[in-house]
Amino acid sequence: MENRTVNNIKLGAFVLGGLLFLVVLLYMIGANRSLFGATYLLKARFENVQGLVAGNNVRFSGIQAGTVKNITILNDTVIEISMLIDKKMLMIIRNNALVSIGTDGLVGNKVVNIVPSKVSAPLAKEAEILQAKRAVSPDEMLQTLYTTNNDIAVIAANLKTTVQRINSSSALWALLSDPSIPKDLKISVAHIRDATGKAGNIVDNLDLMVEDVKVGKGLLGKLMRDESLAKNLEAAVVKINRVVEQADSLAGEFSGLVTDIRLDATKGKGTLHTLLRDSLMAASLTNSLENIQQGTDGFNQNMEAIKHSFLLRGYYKKLKKQQQKNEKKQE
Amino acid sequence: MYKLPYKMIASYLPSLNIFLKEAGEIARFTGRFFTQWFKPRYEIAELLRQCFVIGYRSLPLVGLTAFILGLVLTIQLRPSMEDYGVASQLPAIVGIAIIREIGPVIVALIFAGKIGSSIGAELGSMKVTEQIDAMEVSGTNPFKYLVVTRVLAATLMLPVLVLLGDAVSLYGSWLGVNIRGNTSFYLFWTQVFNSITFSDVLPAFIKSYFFGFAVGVVGCYKGFNSNKGTEGVGRSANSAVVVSSVMIFLIDLLAVQVTDVLGLN
Amino acid sequence: MPKNFSLNSNNDKAESSETVLSIEHLYKSFGANKVLVDFNLDLVRGENVVVLGKSGSGKSVLIKCIISLLNPDSGSIRMFGSNIPDIKNDVLDKIRAKVGFLFQSNALYDSMTVRENLEFPLRRHWISVTQRQVNAMVQEALEEVGLAHTIDSMPAELSGGMRKRIALARTLILKPEIILYDEPTTGLDPITAKEIINLMIEIRERYTTTSLIISHDMNCVRMASSRVVMLIDGSCYASGSFDQLANNADPKVKQFFE
Ligand SMILES: Nc1ncnc2c1ncn2[C@@H]1O[C@H](COP(=O)(O)OP(=O)(O)O)[C@@H](O)[C@H]1O
Ligand SMILES: [Mg+2]
Repeated sequence: MENRTVNNIKLGAFVLGGLLFLVVLLYMIGANRSLFGATYLLKARFENVQGLVAGNNVRFSGIQAGTVKNITILNDTVIEISMLIDKKMLMIIRNNALVSIGTDGLVGNKVVNIVPSKVSAPLAKEAEILQAKRAVSPDEMLQTLYTTNNDIAVIAANLKTTVQRINSSSALWALLSDPSIPKDLKISVAHIRDATGKAGNIVDNLDLMVEDVKVGKGLLGKLMRDESLAKNLEAAVVKINRVVEQADSLAGEFSGLVTDIRLDATKGKGTLHTLLRDSLMAASLTNSLENIQQGTDGFNQNMEAIKHSFLLRGYYKKLKKQQQKNEKKQE
Repeated sequence: MYKLPYKMIASYLPSLNIFLKEAGEIARFTGRFFTQWFKPRYEIAELLRQCFVIGYRSLPLVGLTAFILGLVLTIQLRPSMEDYGVASQLPAIVGIAIIREIGPVIVALIFAGKIGSSIGAELGSMKVTEQIDAMEVSGTNPFKYLVVTRVLAATLMLPVLVLLGDAVSLYGSWLGVNIRGNTSFYLFWTQVFNSITFSDVLPAFIKSYFFGFAVGVVGCYKGFNSNKGTEGVGRSANSAVVVSSVMIFLIDLLAVQVTDVLGLN
Repeated sequence: MPKNFSLNSNNDKAESSETVLSIEHLYKSFGANKVLVDFNLDLVRGENVVVLGKSGSGKSVLIKCIISLLNPDSGSIRMFGSNIPDIKNDVLDKIRAKVGFLFQSNALYDSMTVRENLEFPLRRHWISVTQRQVNAMVQEALEEVGLAHTIDSMPAELSGGMRKRIALARTLILKPEIILYDEPTTGLDPITAKEIINLMIEIRERYTTTSLIISHDMNCVRMASSRVVMLIDGSCYASGSFDQLANNADPKVKQFFE
């Protein structure tokens, strides 16, 4: 009999222990979701809420401030979100704060971020609509990258035809063997020959890189998982940097050359017509090279952005560590 | 053209028959439970005793397994989390994994192994040695006294075990996080609580009732319908574990569909 | 309160020719296996009837039908004014409280102590009984079988003969008017078997219970029976005193006495 009482007490403690954990769990979630305690309403309007759902967290400068209460479609381009914000934020959030939708780590929960503006303004009131800011999502970033990539592909194709035209231009090669042309101009033309050879390399590199990026196209998940792809991208960045440098010096040489030729032309040398013809071509070449530079600049920016995106952060961190290690070894 | 291996399929047909027959019998047994459990007389004292035996006595085993599970899961996940630079999210990931799925299912499987087999063997040997008949002669409805109490106890106790198992498992996970990192107890729990939602906790909690019910019903069914002889008892204990483990996974599959349809994910 | 609480209440109504159990045209089959075919038997108060049959002949099925653990296909079993196959559960429980059943395998509850085993039928049948009454009755029943010292043991700690006696004590604790014994001496050594038989005779004399004993142990049949019924091919093949049957010329009867 007594034993049974003891057993029942133990059983009671056991059940209470389990229920206590459940209650704590539910209470803490509830507290995090602002289900308890005083709240007020703030709103914002977006074109695209990127999968935000009711119950997602709202952060003010990174601090948990409330939750999304509901999401309503006002018309085909405007979606309004209503947020329940802790009352204690009433004295903090101003009506010029910017609202954006972001992602909370890898877990993938969407969050609403409210960021204060630097300019002072009145405090936001109940049900006030705050200004929305479009956030760049990793998706969009990659999309831009691919667009740039395609641009580069087009430029590379242009460059290729130009280079081919130079290589097959008999006039240019004739210049080299013409004894009447001054030595310095000859050197310049030799440079062009070199440069076109290099430009051929650049085109090949660009083609390779465009392929590299295409392989990873659209596979966000792969990008997150596949380290080799990250390495490819890294290699691509290095190549692009080299291409940009080469394009820089190439463009410099061409413009120098063009000036030289113009000078010669004014002096009324015998090869004037050929040169004039070729100078047009030279101008188009310079133009192409400038295009490359612009394209690669844009590409570089994207690559930088990707480098800092959370997707590849882990990889680059590792790389940095590796480099530091190597440096230490060398010391 | 691909040809169906008719002969092979045909050789499985008898066992399919047995399977369907068994499924039908279990369904009838479950129906019998539902027609009896709410009618007097209520075997409260026996129910409490069974709760003690089934619930409280399983705590050490469940606690130990859950602890190791949380610890190992955390240690195993860390390298890949570090690869993506999200090692700081470890508590959140482990918390969700344990509370949503791993906690309920692993605890239920342990429970099936311990309780399913012991119910199967106990009722089986009671059946074989005529103890069930003796009970009936002594003015007791053995179905109510033996089956209803055990099924209810298993149904009510498993969710409690799952909750405590979750708690212990997360404690193990906290230790796991701190083997190579440095996260305070408070920060760990804040991260866990921040990452989980009602829709993580409630479906998991509700489905563990079904897990417990399945273990109880299958164990009792197997024991109650045990064949004569000690071999029969062993077989009912064994098949109670096998069948209830499979049931746990089937219920889990069903639960995930239901929560999906209800939009609770 | 149960009306047969006092030990001697049965003695008052003892009438030597009163029929307490009457089985008529009992049929029971399991699928194609016809176990009982038109079985008839009357039990008069105070007599010890032994049902003799080889194993598998349906003796256990017969007494399980009597106590309604099995439902017969047809036929009537009249006891305490009711037809057992027809009555509802609450009436059945009241009748069962007056009928003791000693199982072939004892059926002691493994998970309970001897005390709890004996308390079980008491608490189940007599809901409003005090702890002191229960303790006294447990003590008395155990003394009856000479095992008062085992009260806090578990059944698994006892020998086969002791377990049989505990089972008997559990049967006696409700002061049944009819006791059904299912092979009480099977599996026991001859000396222990004899002790059990003597205990059964003693009990009948002290409480004037009516007993239906199932057995194929000739020792048990000779010592305990006032009448023997031969169960052959599912029906009552022959009946009479032990001596009458022992001298019967029928080969089917004879084979039991060789
Ligand atoms: N529950 C049951 N289901 C099917 N057959 C049974 C059942 N109980 C007994 N039988 C069959 O009835 C016959 C008689 O069994 P039983 O009465 O136990 O024999 P015994 O005379 O040795 O006690 C046997 O052939 C047995 O197989
Ligand atoms: Mg038998």
